[in-house]
Amino acid sequence: MSAPARWTVAIVVVAVAALGGLAASAYAQEVQFPHETHQGLFPLCTGCHEGVPTGDRSTFYPDPTTCRGCHNGVLEVTVTWNGPTQRVDNLSFSHNQHVDALDAAGDAALQCGSCHIPPGGGRMAVSDEIQLDTCFGCHAHEASSHQVDARCETCHVPLARTAFDRARIESIPEPSDHEVATFLSSDHGRLVQTDANRCATCHTRERCVSCHVDANRDVIASFPAAPPGMELPPAVAHYYEPTTHLEGQWLTLHGAEASRQDCATCHTSNDCLTCHVEPAPDAVAAMPSRADVVAPGVEVVAQAPQSHESAFFMQAHTVLAAAGDATCSTCHQEAFCVTCHDGPVGGGYHPRDFLARHTADAFGRDTECSNCHNTQVFCRECHAELGLVSRGRLGPGYHDDGPVWLLRHGQAARQNLESCASCHRQVDCTQCHGVLGAFKVSPHGVDFDAERAWARSPRTCLACHVGNPLNE
Amino acid sequence: MTFRGAIAVLATLASQLLLAVRTNAQEYRGWATTSVQVVELRPIGLDTVARSDVLTDSQGRFFYQGYEVSCTQATSCTGYLPMDDEATVAATQDLNLTYWGLGVEGLSLTALARVRLRAGTDLVWPRSDDEFDALLAYAQYQRGPLRLRGGRQDVRSGLGLSAFDGLTASYAYGSARAEVYGGRSLARGLREPANEALRGLDDFYLDHSVLLLGASASLRTLGVLATARYHREILWDRSSLVSERASLDFSTVLTRVRVTGSADYDFSFQHVGKAQLTVSAPLEDGRWLVELSGRRYVPYFDLSTIWGFFEPVSYSEVLARVGWSPNRTLGAWVSGGRRYYGDTGAPVIIQPMKDNGWRADVGARWAPLPAWTLNGSYQLEWGPGGFLSSVDASVRYAVNDRLGASLSALSFQQIEEYRLGQGRAFGMGASGDFRWNDRMSLMGGFSILRHRDGGNVFTSPWNQARGWTSVRFDVGEDPGLANRERRR
Repeated sequence: MSAPARWTVAIVVVAVAALGGLAASAYAQEVQFPHETHQGLFPLCTGCHEGVPTGDRSTFYPDPTTCRGCHNGVLEVTVTWNGPTQRVDNLSFSHNQHVDALDAAGDAALQCGSCHIPPGGGRMAVSDEIQLDTCFGCHAHEASSHQVDARCETCHVPLARTAFDRARIESIPEPSDHEVATFLSSDHGRLVQTDANRCATCHTRERCVSCHVDANRDVIASFPAAPPGMELPPAVAHYYEPTTHLEGQWLTLHGAEASRQDCATCHTSNDCLTCHVEPAPDAVAAMPSRADVVAPGVEVVAQAPQSHESAFFMQAHTVLAAAGDATCSTCHQEAFCVTCHDGPVGGGYHPRDFLARHTADAFGRDTECSNCHNTQVFCRECHAELGLVSRGRLGPGYHDDGPVWLLRHGQAARQNLESCASCHRQVDCTQCHGVLGAFKVSPHGVDFDAERAWARSPRTCLACHVGNPLNE
Repeated sequence: MTFRGAIAVLATLASQLLLAVRTNAQEYRGWATTSVQVVELRPIGLDTVARSDVLTDSQGRFFYQGYEVSCTQATSCTGYLPMDDEATVAATQDLNLTYWGLGVEGLSLTALARVRLRAGTDLVWPRSDDEFDALLAYAQYQRGPLRLRGGRQDVRSGLGLSAFDGLTASYAYGSARAEVYGGRSLARGLREPANEALRGLDDFYLDHSVLLLGASASLRTLGVLATARYHREILWDRSSLVSERASLDFSTVLTRVRVTGSADYDFSFQHVGKAQLTVSAPLEDGRWLVELSGRRYVPYFDLSTIWGFFEPVSYSEVLARVGWSPNRTLGAWVSGGRRYYGDTGAPVIIQPMKDNGWRADVGARWAPLPAWTLNGSYQLEWGPGGFLSSVDASVRYAVNDRLGASLSALSFQQIEEYRLGQGRAFGMGASGDFRWNDRMSLMGGFSILRHRDGGNVFTSPWNQARGWTSVRFDVGEDPGLANRERRR
């Protein structure tokens, strides 16, 4: 071996031995070994840390009996140094991998002291603090911050693979980007998509599912989970209302955008079913169920649409229902409508004692009676029971508000024909208005299109006419 | 009760018992309601009285005990007079169930059945002699944008409620939705084929089932929600058209101002049917609500009756409403409308009838204490042939969130269709409601009306007494029905 080669090997060995300090720092030393005191005795790091270049952990540190060769009470005072016990950490540094890599690269620049000796320190001024800048000299050329820009997994294993206790976990410093106002609401989602390993350095899956309802999402499902027995700090769920939810029509429009991907961060299917009636839309069925979820989620309280808050909603809902078509069925089944429209006896649609004073309402038709009631049957049936029914002949009348009612009734009939039909049968009219009736008074207006009527429904014409009225 | 009715009653009661017991159902939801109403009232009847007992007023009109009669004979007069009191008991048992989770995702079954019973005198409460109705009975398959439904169902639209036995298919594509449906049409409000339900009403009525065909398209775009619908009914043998109509309904919100509109067109009679446009504006964070409406109303008759050929005229109405609710404990509203009827073209005898009418009402609700709520309202309606002046007042005391009781009083004066109204009716009532738990609730009450005709005579058709009660069981989560807050 030539002299330069020997120097190269020596430097590499020294460098590797120095890096061994990284590993050494993973050991808690009950008594800090005074390296500088012994600098005259140990020209090479590998003299004591033989296993560092090879990865043999059993020889990372010298055998304490070696110390007693001098510290035997005769030559030197006895010492109790027994070597460090392995410290719990989350480092993934491999000295022997670096040895191999450096060896292959012929890189002689890196020595043990590069990492283990502070700048300006002597050859044996070994410190417990790792000189991280040395690491970034190769691993993160553009890193501006240890905790933000560096790739954590280069040096650290995921938290789930450590033996950290709760106190140690709580002591992990929080990266500065976590303090950004939008970090929880939006930023962290993008970060975890691009660099989940970074998140996993300090978090386990349990942290994700403490907020995220949807634990089956790919990025969460693949996140390392805490090992059995690991005590995690209590996680507080934070939820932020997306800006979309603040839009005025959100309640009405959210269905078009609903998906497990977008909604299950905060909501379960139970939240959907707070309003949606079963069987619910597919998007609801795809949502996770509350029974399967750890996170508290955002509770949804059934809330009527804004339109329902109107004092006049009862009057207005007809058109809203007709225009919305399927919108009502989000919360209501058809049976709900029936409870009022076509409701049971004593149903709640009409106000109390409506029956006694429904005449004006029926006459004014603010609401259309025939939407629920068959006026020819329902109304007439009741009116007949009460005596308000024609006997099929002309006679002294019920309509006593004015003289010669019969001669004046045409105007009233055309204004409120539904009211007529709620007591009278058609034959009451045809006895005068039919071609075979007593007076043969045509009920049709001047613009009546007899030809069209005959073409569309000849059988109705025959109620009053003997044959085709066009031939009469 | 017929055997069919008895079986229906037993089946429904058994189902209701099942609902009451099985409260943890995961794959069915429904409710059962038992309602009973007792009514005592006094019909009127055409009667004959002796001419000697009839008084004549200064205008030459004849009155018997305050009721106008007609005297065309020398010794007798006839007129509508109060008959003896009659009472009836009408009960309905409704059962609604929706089942899903039948092994096919998206498949569900829905049924709403009604059983009716009656007792008492010969007085028949409307429909109480029809012992059983299947109001809804359909199977539905819904997957993604597609929904198929088959069975007894109804369509609620700008054309009203149309029930039929048939099929519906709808498909949603983004913000658009299309639907087609068809089947045997059921008579309005009766849920039975028209030719069966109306048989005997008139000699020339339908003798064939009616086939219903319809389609609709809904679109939500640019903040406007609109639905257009076409609806056609023909006799089963295709010999005659029964109805042909189309409607357009829309709703939109423009900077918190809601605009809704609707219109329908009757192809059978070639005229625009009902139409309305309403602008509703909340002001001051919703403390005020101002609504303006313009509407047109014309009764709808299909071609199976002669009524439509009598060419009823429409009326147009402008209506304004103002609501005020500064907080949750206080609210008030006032509304007023005026309507004008179209030219009837009918000959004018002696004097034309009124061709306009108006209505107004005012009301308020106040909860001075959390447990107490006061309500009051006054309604006035004055149109051709009808008049109503009515005042209501009530107080409700909520013992707790499960138990409440109300007392009410009312008074009104009215005239019916071109019939002289006399006197004023006074009434009072009480009611209570009790929610046993989330599954069961009970309510009931009574009201009494007494007619005072100015002479302190308590005999008239407006003397009425009514009592009612209902029990309801709910099973399964049903937020739409309850519309109440639910927390897990």
